[in-house]
Order: sequence, then structure tokens, then C-alpha cells
Amino acid sequence: MGEPAFSLKATGRLRRRQLVNKGMGALAVGAALLAVAVLAIVVISVGSRGAGSLNLAFFTQNQAQGFNPKGGGVLFAIVGSAMLVGIATLIALPLGVLIAIYISELAPPRLARVGRMALDISNGIPTIVVGIFVFTILVAAHGQSAFAGSIALAIIMLPLIARATEEVLLLVPSSQREASLALGVSRWRTTVQVVIPSALGGIFTGTTLAIARVAGETAPLLFLTSLGTSSTADANPFHPLQSLTLVIFSYSEQADPAYQSKAWAAAFTLMCFVLFTSLAAKLTLARYRKKLGG
Amino acid sequence: MEAIKTKIEVADKSSLPTANEREAVFEARDLAVLYGDQLAIAGVNIDIYQRLITALIGPSGCGKSTFLRTLNRMNDLIPTASIRGELRYRDIDLYGPGVDAVEVRRRVGMVFQKPNPFHSSIYDNVAYGMRILGMKKDLSERVEKALRRAALWDEVKDRLKDSALGLSGGQQQRLCIARAIAVEPEVILFDEPASALDPISTSAIEDLMHELKRDYTLVIVTHNMQQAARVADLTAFFGLEVKSDGNRYGVLVEYDETEKIFTNPSDKRTEGYVTGRFG
Amino acid sequence: MRELYSGELEELEGSLQEEGKLVDRAIRGALNVLARDDLELADELIAFDDEIDRHYLSIEQRIPSLLARQTPVASELRLVLAILYINLHLERVADYCVTVAKLTKLAHGLPRDAGVLEALEEMGERCREMLSTGLEYFSSRDFTDKQALIEMDRPIDRANRKLIDRLIALGPEESQREWAMRMILVSRCLERIGDHTVDIGEQAAYLVRGEFEEFTDASHKKPPAN
Repeated sequence: MGEPAFSLKATGRLRRRQLVNKGMGALAVGAALLAVAVLAIVVISVGSRGAGSLNLAFFTQNQAQGFNPKGGGVLFAIVGSAMLVGIATLIALPLGVLIAIYISELAPPRLARVGRMALDISNGIPTIVVGIFVFTILVAAHGQSAFAGSIALAIIMLPLIARATEEVLLLVPSSQREASLALGVSRWRTTVQVVIPSALGGIFTGTTLAIARVAGETAPLLFLTSLGTSSTADANPFHPLQSLTLVIFSYSEQADPAYQSKAWAAAFTLMCFVLFTSLAAKLTLARYRKKLGG
Repeated sequence: MEAIKTKIEVADKSSLPTANEREAVFEARDLAVLYGDQLAIAGVNIDIYQRLITALIGPSGCGKSTFLRTLNRMNDLIPTASIRGELRYRDIDLYGPGVDAVEVRRRVGMVFQKPNPFHSSIYDNVAYGMRILGMKKDLSERVEKALRRAALWDEVKDRLKDSALGLSGGQQQRLCIARAIAVEPEVILFDEPASALDPISTSAIEDLMHELKRDYTLVIVTHNMQQAARVADLTAFFGLEVKSDGNRYGVLVEYDETEKIFTNPSDKRTEGYVTGRFG
Repeated sequence: MRELYSGELEELEGSLQEEGKLVDRAIRGALNVLARDDLELADELIAFDDEIDRHYLSIEQRIPSLLARQTPVASELRLVLAILYINLHLERVADYCVTVAKLTKLAHGLPRDAGVLEALEEMGERCREMLSTGLEYFSSRDFTDKQALIEMDRPIDRANRKLIDRLIALGPEESQREWAMRMILVSRCLERIGDHTVDIGEQAAYLVRGEFEEFTDASHKKPPAN
């Protein structure tokens, strides 16, 4: 057993290769750490300033009567935001799913492409422009209302829900559709009974992500619903309700530090909600993907 | 489009003793299928007879699956597909105006190559079609009947609520057969029904087909000609023709009793294919 | 599994056994014709051969179909091939029976020798024994003892030789010469029938053991040592 005819030992270039590899690796790790660090800084800074002002009253009471900013809470703002996002979801979810069904199942390929492009473009429209649009068609004639705010939020949510739904609809294997069609079931019922149930997980995720996104929208609501706070209890969507995001905006502009700390508290609440919702959505999506793919 | 020169003689009923007293369920006359401009199969003349097993064999690309899918209008799902010629189902022009593809598929069922049960329970799989078509009376009895007919009842009767995905490949395929039978079709089409299964499951499916023959008309596409030899009463061999511009399309070369095709085929191309010499 | 195929194999084997029974009757019939010198019986026997031929043809036609459609392998392939050959042997035996009947017709009315007739009868009965033994081995798939079949064939050969000697002795008698010559041919037929039944036994052994072996061979005086 003599020496092999060739050698697999490293040549001189090896050291440089190893160095480059290690260097790029370090850069990548650094970038990732940076991203995490940014998130951490935001969470910590908001949390440290806001968490302290959280108390039960914060959540359960509206702004205190009179001009005492120390007591009271943002209950009505929370209610208002819930209504805004809730109604927006009620509008955007069915529409988004229907649009997705059309694009992925029914449309001829060219129209489907146009549809997808339209959704992607509307995804990029600045939200304040959406706000102005809704202002022009709704508020100018009928005054501010939470409903108008919901419309704006729905317009923002729509492309998100539609695209996420479309993606999961495409994930459903065509063999499932074929099986149903071959039994003499119509296209539409096949979609409703076979495709949608398989896609539910993805639809839920898409909707949750959209909710997380619009929960924090401020700009479109500026003109559409109440900027200030009122002391009257109100849950009628056709009235201008309060919004948590607008409360943060207006409180942070106040001179009184008590208001400012309330703003921080509200910001912290909102951020927790968005983080939690996004995390839940991602986890659900991961489990759903595994189930569908496995 | 270039004129289709191949003209195949109609399979004369009197030359098919097995089929002699039987009615023709499907009659194809000069049937051609195109995808856009591309010809897939041309000039097919064939009669499919009631309660017999007819096998379609041929090399890949010969259009046997395409032809199969014209029988239940599944080709409609491909936007560019179009047909020429005529296909009659019990004397109704299958592609005539006013014919609803959904109605066609109720009467002409299909079982696919890879078992494709729904992601629900065994019971729900079989009941699916019946529920939608409003055949809701005695649902449980009908489910049992379909599962018995598909030779699956004994293996699943104690776990009807379990997920269909927990069954083995062969069992899933029989479940798909039960599901198709449940809506009481007249014809069942099989597109390579056992190519994704192991030999024991394949044998079980073949035995099942012999039993199903008593009540249903079966048409199967298979690339395994031994399977066609074992199972089918009549066999149709589709061959490939090449046009002058290099495009290939399928034609019906020979259609006869299976025994004849495998002991003494009339056409050299058939002999070449079944002996494995080419194609 | 493969119920249709199993059914076909069973039917084919059943047909063969039926044919075997018919051939056994044919041998007995030929011996009767010989013993009684009965012309009518001879014609009946010749007509009876048509029925055997029908079985023969039916089996002949079914075998290529079965091979092509069911692609039998292993013991089932050997079974089908064994049926193919046994079918052939049975048909040959039946033909020899017809020849015996025809020879008897030709020798009708001539003076006969009782001793010769007795020996022929015995040869014939031995043939029947061998046929049924061979078919029995085939149907039971039990082939432990091929010697038995070889042993049975030997007396037939001995009897045949003894018979020839006796017939030659009759030769000088002019009145009996023609009859003697016809009987030599009859003896030859019976000896050939015996050979075919041994062949049937060989097929049964092939089916069971998977190897083909000749029990006796014309070119060897004694059977190969085994």
C-alpha cells in the first residue's frame, strides 16, 4: 500500500478560503444580531417607559373627568380600536378570500396576473393616501365615524388577506380538486367543501397578520375618526370613536408628563398586542405548513 | 392544420364476440383532441361496451390518458383543450350544446393514479359525494354498501371515523373506488389505478375490478400491459404517429379481444409493443 | 388473489383429467373390440375418438391464451406446460386405440389364437393401469416413486417380445399368417401406448420436482442409474 496517486491535502489557497468563509460567516451573524438588537431596543425602551404606568384603571376606565390627567384610562380608545379593527376585518376577510378564490381558481391566466399585480400595488399605497381617499368619499359628506376608519383599514388589509389566502389555495394539491370534480361536484362546491377547508389555517394566519398590521395604523385614521378623547361612552361605529393609535399621537403631544406617560403605556400595550398576534400567526402558519406538506 | 390522413376502421361489433350482445356505452367517431394547436390524438373510432373491462395501452405520449379524460370531460379543466369529431354516451353527444359536464361526471366516475382521499374521515370520504348530490337517505347503509363493494368494509368497519390518511396505499385506493361507487355511476374510469401500489395491492385491485365488472362498465388506462392482459376483456392499443413537422400524436392502432391482442395481433405495431420490442 | 386465473387453471386441469378418463374408456373399448371381434363396437370406438379430439383441441386452444394473458410462472408455468404435453400424449394414445380397432376390423373373420389374445388383453390392462397411475401422480402432485411406473412398463415390453416370438412361431401356418401380422401391429400399438403413459408420468415428475428427467430411453438398454 504505497502513497496514493493524488493528494487531497489542502493547497496554499486554503488559508485564504477559510478566512473568507469565517469572515462572511461573522458578518452574517452580526447582521442577524443587529436586527434582533433593534427589535430588543424598541421593546425595551417602550416597555421601560410604558410598563410603569400600567394599572387596572388604565384598561378599565376612560379618561378622567375634568382636567386631571393622572387618573383614568384609555378604555374607550381600546373599545374604539377594537371596533375599528373588528369591522375592518369583517369587511376585508370575506372580500379578500373571494378575490383570492377568483384569482387562483376561476380567472383566466392573464386576468389572474393583472389581479395579482393590482393587489401588490395596492399593498404599497401610502396609508395616508388611503385615509384621504376615504375622507373624500365618505367623511366629507357624512362626517367622521369609526366606520369610515374601518373602510380605510379594510382597504389596507385586503391585499394582505387576499395574497395570503391565494398562497394557501395554491398549496392545496390539485389532486384533491380533481377527486371532487370527478365525482360530479361543481367547481364552486369543490372550492367551498374541499379547497377552503384545507386552506383555513393559512387564511387564519393571513388574517391575523393583517390585523396585527392595521392595529397600529395611525395615518389613515387621522381624518376619519375622533382625534381627541371624549368622556361619553360610545360604541356606535357610525360615530367617531377613539382609537388607541390616535390617543398615543394626541397624548404624546400634550405638555403634561402625565399624559405622556399614558402615551407610553398605550404604546406599550399596542406593541405587546402586535407582537403577540404576529408571533401567534407565525407559529400557526409553521404548524399548518408542516401538516399540509407532510 | 394538416389534414389527418390516418383513418382507422371502426371496430366491427361482429368481430368482437365478447361484445356481441352488449350495448355500446360510448361511441367515438373520428375523435381528435388538441391542446391549443397541438394535436394529441387523432381519428379515434371506438365503441366501449357495457359491463366489460376495456383497457387502453400504448407507449407514453400516445394519448391514452387524453382519450380517457374525454369520456368524463375532465379535459375541460385544461383551458386549451378542444375536441373534434364526435363522442356519444348512450346516444347523447357528450360535447353537444346543453350538456353539463358536472352531470356527465356523475355518471362517469374516475379513479386516479395516485390515491387522493380527502383529508377527512373514512366515512366522510365515502359520504362526500352523496351528501352534495342530495342522496342523504340511509346514508350509513349506502356508505357500508359502497365500502363492501370496494372490498374494504371488513378492514375499516371499526374505524370509520378515523382519518383516511391513516390507511395504506392500497386501502386508500380502494377507498377512492368506494367514494366513486357511492354516487352510483354507470361507468368507472381508471387512470393507471395500480401504478403507485405494491404488487399485492395491485392484485387486490385487479380482483376487485373483476367483481365490479358485474355492475359497472370499466375503462382502464395502464402502461403495464401484463395488467391489461390479466384484467381486460377488450384491449385498445394506441400508437404514436409523427407528423411531417416532427409533432407526435396518438392514434388507435388496434382494438380487439384481449386474447387476440396478446396471442395474435393483427397489426405489426401492436406486436412490436406487446412483445416489448419498441414503444 | 387472482381468482379468475386460479379458476382457469383448475378448469384446464379438470378438462385434462376428464380427457384422461375418456382415453381410459377408449383403451378398454379397444381391448373389447379385440376380444369380441365386434365390428359395430369398432365403429363406435372410432366415432368416440371425436369426443376425445374435442377435448384435445379445447385444451390446445386454451393454453396459449392462458400463457399470454396470465403469464404463469414457477409451478404454475410447469403445470401449464405439463398439461400441454400430457394433452398431446393422451391424444396419441386415443389414436392408437383407433388403430387397434381398425386393425381388428381388417382381421375380422380370420382364425385367431387364444394365447395371443390373452397376452394382448393383459398388455392392454397394464397400459390402463399405468395411465391411471400417471394421471393420479399428476393430480395428487405426489411423486415419490417413479420406479413404480418404470416397473410397470417392463412387463409390457417383456410381454410384447414374448408375443412377437409366439406370432413368429405361427408364421409357417399360412391360414394364420395374415392374422398374426395384424396382431404384431396391434401389439406394437399397445407397446406405444405404454410408452406414452410413461411419458405422462415423466410430466408429473417434472411438475413436482421442477426438473425434467427421462425414465426410459429408447437408446439405453437399461434406465439411467438414479
